[in-house]
Amino acid sequence: MRRVAAAVAALVMVSGCATAGTPVNLATVTAGDRPLPVGVEVNPPATTGAAQPSDCDPTASLRPGALPPPRQMPSGSTMQKILQRGRLIAGVDQNTYLFGFRDPTTNALEGFDIDRAREIAAAIFGDPNKVQFRVLTSAQRIDALKNGDVDVVVRTMTATCARWDEINFSAIYYVAAQRLLVDKSSEISDIDQLGGQRVCAAKGSTSLARMREFPSPPELVAVDNWSDCLVLMQQGQVVGVSTDDTILAGMVAQDPNLKMVGPRIHEEPYGIGIPKENVDMVRFVNAVLTKSISSGAWQASWNRWLAQAGGRATPPTLRYRD
Amino acid sequence: MVTEAPPEGARSAGLRSVTRTATTTPGRLSVAAVGLVLLTAVTGLFAALTLQDKKDTLDDLVSHREPLAAAAQLIFRSLSDADATAASAFLSGGAEPDELRARYEFDIAQAGAALGKASSDVGADSMAAQQVDILSRQLPVYTGLVETARTNKRQGFPAGAAYLREASGLMRSQILPAAEKLYEINYQRLTSEQEDARSFPWITALLTLALIAALVVTQLWLTRKTNRLINIGLAAATAAVALALIWGTVALLVESTYVRGAERDGSQQVDLLVQARINSLKCRADETLTLVARGDGAAYEKEWAELAPTLAGEGNLLSRAAAAAPTPELAAPITEAVANAEAWVAAHGKIRELDGTGQYQEAVAMAIGDAPDSAAVAFAALDRNLIAALDAGRGEFVAQTSRAANALTGLVPGVVVLAMVAGVGATLGIRARLREYR
Repeated sequence: MRRVAAAVAALVMVSGCATAGTPVNLATVTAGDRPLPVGVEVNPPATTGAAQPSDCDPTASLRPGALPPPRQMPSGSTMQKILQRGRLIAGVDQNTYLFGFRDPTTNALEGFDIDRAREIAAAIFGDPNKVQFRVLTSAQRIDALKNGDVDVVVRTMTATCARWDEINFSAIYYVAAQRLLVDKSSEISDIDQLGGQRVCAAKGSTSLARMREFPSPPELVAVDNWSDCLVLMQQGQVVGVSTDDTILAGMVAQDPNLKMVGPRIHEEPYGIGIPKENVDMVRFVNAVLTKSISSGAWQASWNRWLAQAGGRATPPTLRYRD
Repeated sequence: MVTEAPPEGARSAGLRSVTRTATTTPGRLSVAAVGLVLLTAVTGLFAALTLQDKKDTLDDLVSHREPLAAAAQLIFRSLSDADATAASAFLSGGAEPDELRARYEFDIAQAGAALGKASSDVGADSMAAQQVDILSRQLPVYTGLVETARTNKRQGFPAGAAYLREASGLMRSQILPAAEKLYEINYQRLTSEQEDARSFPWITALLTLALIAALVVTQLWLTRKTNRLINIGLAAATAAVALALIWGTVALLVESTYVRGAERDGSQQVDLLVQARINSLKCRADETLTLVARGDGAAYEKEWAELAPTLAGEGNLLSRAAAAAPTPELAAPITEAVANAEAWVAAHGKIRELDGTGQYQEAVAMAIGDAPDSAAVAFAALDRNLIAALDAGRGEFVAQTSRAANALTGLVPGVVVLAMVAGVGATLGIRARLREYR
């Protein structure tokens, strides 16, 4: 009797299964579509900007001469050519908050780097506005100088020996240090803990090159502009951003949900890039920097932009190799 | 007549009885009558269905197919304009001007509405379904990015620019190509339906000719058998069928002429103008994005240099459309468009010159300001001309296609009535002869 009941139950189950249809799904979506910034690359091949064994002192520039008065540049000099052209062409950034960025309300470029470019223009023309800004990505900086597209590059550019081979640098006008930016709730405190996870940095930057050298390197997401890293961070597509503390401070200023962690991985001395052949321009720019520090203009600019980001309030000592 | 019971079965018996019937004259008459009536019925039915189908195709062209091609075009236009407007708003500095914001919102609303219409129609076309899928999935992502960009911009954060770049990248790499593809698919479907509408129904024509031949042969045979020259019933049947043939042929010739006209002056002209408009929108976005990139926008300027010659230059789309316009009224907005495109290219040259010599703010003013020689003014005028020309082209399409449909007015009921006349005529004509054998 029990066997009969079991057989009936089995039959009921079988027929029940046989009649059950599958629901039809008309719109099958497996995952959301996350947009990516234009030009993003994952683990790009190594290029210039790589930190090389130190066989020079990248922070030592050429000793300045006396600063000529505005509009009276020595004949035949690079500065005189710029004076005749009527404007200084400066390669800058428009996406790095506090250093070089477009103020969305006035539409003008502002920041600590932009102030340096205006000082050079003021020294040549007596007018800080005689400057044409050309926006460059990190990766374009060296080529723009080598092609002569720009007179100077003032764009959070670290002076390295490898770069000294291709271009000249002014004296160091600011010293930053590479650190790590993560979400406020994150327990990560050092780049060492990021092995295999996605971390953002700009293409062609020293920050990107340094992260490659870690024993367990993170998966590197390379972008054109630093602000693209902030976008990826806010969209949850990377766990961290690693670059100079000054740039990271600009991101924290835009999003209080982020924090800077970890030790100062490496000092990043910023110099103004100048084409290799324009030695007179290097000495001139160094004279402008000397004047800027002694007149207090450097300090005023620091107070305006970088005080909110912390860091060193004193200008670096200008060093020369003669 | 006595028939023996056939051993093979009823069916072959029936067949044999018909065969035997056909050997006698009255028998043959009966077979001829049945055959003629059947042939008339088949021909009449076939012709009525074919012609009704043709009329339905014409109605569908006006009420369905052409509006959908226009909707697909509208999706591209709205989205491309939204992208260019967002870039202009970004360039303007401060909180964006109200009119730019309103324009962006209108563009997005219009794109959404047009996308709804386009998606209702994709049906079994998997290519079209794929494009609609991309559009429906990415459009909300795009608008989300633009709003995030806007919020950041209002707070004075440069992250806004990064979000806008990401949004524009998504628009240009995925959304706009899908919209362009969708328009191409819809235009191809329109073209092939127009081909259907003007194709000549050969099978119906051959059936009708066969029916006339059968009627004539029957009459010749009767004349020989009975020495009577005219059989009124059959003659009336022949006349009815011949009338249907002539009416149908003339109506279809007129119809295909109008459909061809609708193609030439309507849809092909509209397609040229749509291409011009798509290129002009791409150029406008390139122009503003070059300024947003501020020296880092060589790729945008490269695309401008590739596309601008299709708007102003040797053998450009606009002058081709102007030359192809059938009437001066239709040509007028296109001629204006040619002039405005040239003014725009000139303004663009000035923008590049200003930007290249360091006068960035002046270049921005030239691009988005409202001075009479600015690029914004020339582009807006060009777009107005193109809208007017597109509307005129669409009007021409509807007018000519409706005329084509009118040419078929009454043809279907007419053919049915004439087929009935022919059937009754054949029956009566042969019955009169059959009676003489009783």
